[in-house]
Amino acid sequence: MSRISDLVRVAAAGLTARKVRTFLILLGPILGVGAIVSAIGINESSKGYLKEQLQELGTDLIVANAQDSLGGFGQNPRIPEDAIGRVARLPDVTSVTGTFQISNIVTLPFEDAENYYRAFPVPVIATGLNLPTTMEVPMVSGRFLNEFDSNNAARVAVIGRDLADEYGYLRGESRTISLNGVNYGIVGVMDWVMLEPSMDSAVFITFPTAENDWEIENQDPSRLYVRAPTNTQQVSEEIPTVVSLGGPDGARTSVPTDLLDAESQVDESLNNLTKLMGGLALVVGGVGIANVMSISVIQRASEIGIRRALGHTRSTIGIQFLFEALVVGILGGALGALAGSGVVWLTAWMRGYVMVLSIPELIGWGSVSVAVAVIAGLYPSLKAARLEPLETLRLG
Amino acid sequence: MVERESLLSLEEVTRTYGSDVKVHALREVSLNILSGDFMSIIGPSGSGKSTMLGLLGLLDVPTSGRVTVKDVESTGLDDVERSRLRGQTIGFVFQQFHLIPHLTALGNVETALLYRGLSVAERRRRAFESLEKLGLSERSDHRPVQLSGGEQQRVAIARAIVTDPLVVLADEPTGALDSENAENIMEIFAGLKSPERAVCLVTHDMEIADATDRRVSMKDGAIVEDFVMEKL
Repeated sequence: MSRISDLVRVAAAGLTARKVRTFLILLGPILGVGAIVSAIGINESSKGYLKEQLQELGTDLIVANAQDSLGGFGQNPRIPEDAIGRVARLPDVTSVTGTFQISNIVTLPFEDAENYYRAFPVPVIATGLNLPTTMEVPMVSGRFLNEFDSNNAARVAVIGRDLADEYGYLRGESRTISLNGVNYGIVGVMDWVMLEPSMDSAVFITFPTAENDWEIENQDPSRLYVRAPTNTQQVSEEIPTVVSLGGPDGARTSVPTDLLDAESQVDESLNNLTKLMGGLALVVGGVGIANVMSISVIQRASEIGIRRALGHTRSTIGIQFLFEALVVGILGGALGALAGSGVVWLTAWMRGYVMVLSIPELIGWGSVSVAVAVIAGLYPSLKAARLEPLETLRLG
Repeated sequence: MVERESLLSLEEVTRTYGSDVKVHALREVSLNILSGDFMSIIGPSGSGKSTMLGLLGLLDVPTSGRVTVKDVESTGLDDVERSRLRGQTIGFVFQQFHLIPHLTALGNVETALLYRGLSVAERRRRAFESLEKLGLSERSDHRPVQLSGGEQQRVAIARAIVTDPLVVLADEPTGALDSENAENIMEIFAGLKSPERAVCLVTHDMEIADATDRRVSMKDGAIVEDFVMEKL
């Protein structure tokens, strides 16, 4: 142990004694590791906001749209109401909600706005009572539709957050909105739905209310939202069969985050090219280390000679130089990783990216730097160990 | 009278260089350095004295013959064993001082004590004591470039004796010094004499050789005279 601490001390003294030379040796690994870390980091960070969004949304929501027997979407295709229960019983499904968008309703916050809202109609959606659970969206104020509203076909509605802002709805305010002249009491405002932005400007009512007031014929939904945290893809493939059971009613499924996920994938070929270039920079850095250290061995021949005369063995001399290379590799790798991270941070800050840095990647490239430095230090170390003290001391 | 023991001996040592054309630097030389010796090896350039110093200091191995340090035959030892034996038994002083430029005087002396399992504190204590003996305690934190030639050579002597070697080998120790410093250094070497230790100076300067108690003269790779001065 004391031998190792002696070696570390001697190596550190050797490096700190010649600061400019040490700095020049360090430049290789610093530039190599710095280039790789910054290039990969910037590439990853440019997709960082998508990754962050994906993290927030999750990738386990499935949307199933009704499809008629001909494979198209035909005239108002619907999903049988009992299919909701069947889908809910699938092992990986945690929540299912059916919705049906009612057409030809003019929704008004107040009567004078009729012309505007006739031109830009607000969607009115009949929904199951667990929509916030399935969409994993909280309420901004009030409550969502409940069993009481459903059992009594009550004329109450929940509105999306954007619509609440548009109507100037105040939290907790007692207020009605008019659906084709029929007043509904607003009981709550639902927060933004990232995966279904159209819901942010929608009005939600219960299926029984919709059936009573708007002649939607039955309570069959036209769309299912299904949350399946595990085996999402498999569930997505099972749903059409579970819905149709071989009958004419079908469904076509999609996972809304799939596209986002594909977009968020970094360009692997660009990353590989970056790694190759950075690797080359490290190899060049390694050649630099070997070169400068070889010159250093010649310059320090007298020091090597006197150390040998004082009883230091060939292997001790060799290991002393190898330790210097090791310290260069560790320092260069650490400083390179730090410099690369700084460049990524600066770029992310200037361009508004979400900074993405992989710690295992930093450690990995730091280790490569150490390995390159040690391999590069092998030749000068052997050269130092092989020096004959008699030749270097120039006696008498 | 105390019996003096052999500390370092060459027995019929030959050293040749080159493979095609052989150059005999030493021819069947025998020399016995005894405890208490204060001696010099003198000879003109090319007489083989530097080769002799390399062999005596275990920095080189003979082509034939035996080099024995106390009772240990060094010829068959590997590098690790020979280096260890050298570090434990021999102290070197060189004409050009050969101090490590980036280390302080204390650091240079301490270098001789590295890799011996000593704590840093113990190493520093011994190195400082050695410098103190040479009157350099106040210059311990100076680098070689900040010291005069005489001071640098005293640091080198402190480094040579810090391990308490059996033999101190000095190669032209006053060659790079002015006459005043040379005189001081010779006084120091004379002061290193002890019944357990031998001091051997290699020189071409007869005045230096005359200051020692035993003079070994060399010519053409052979010892031509081994003369012990009569003490008054």
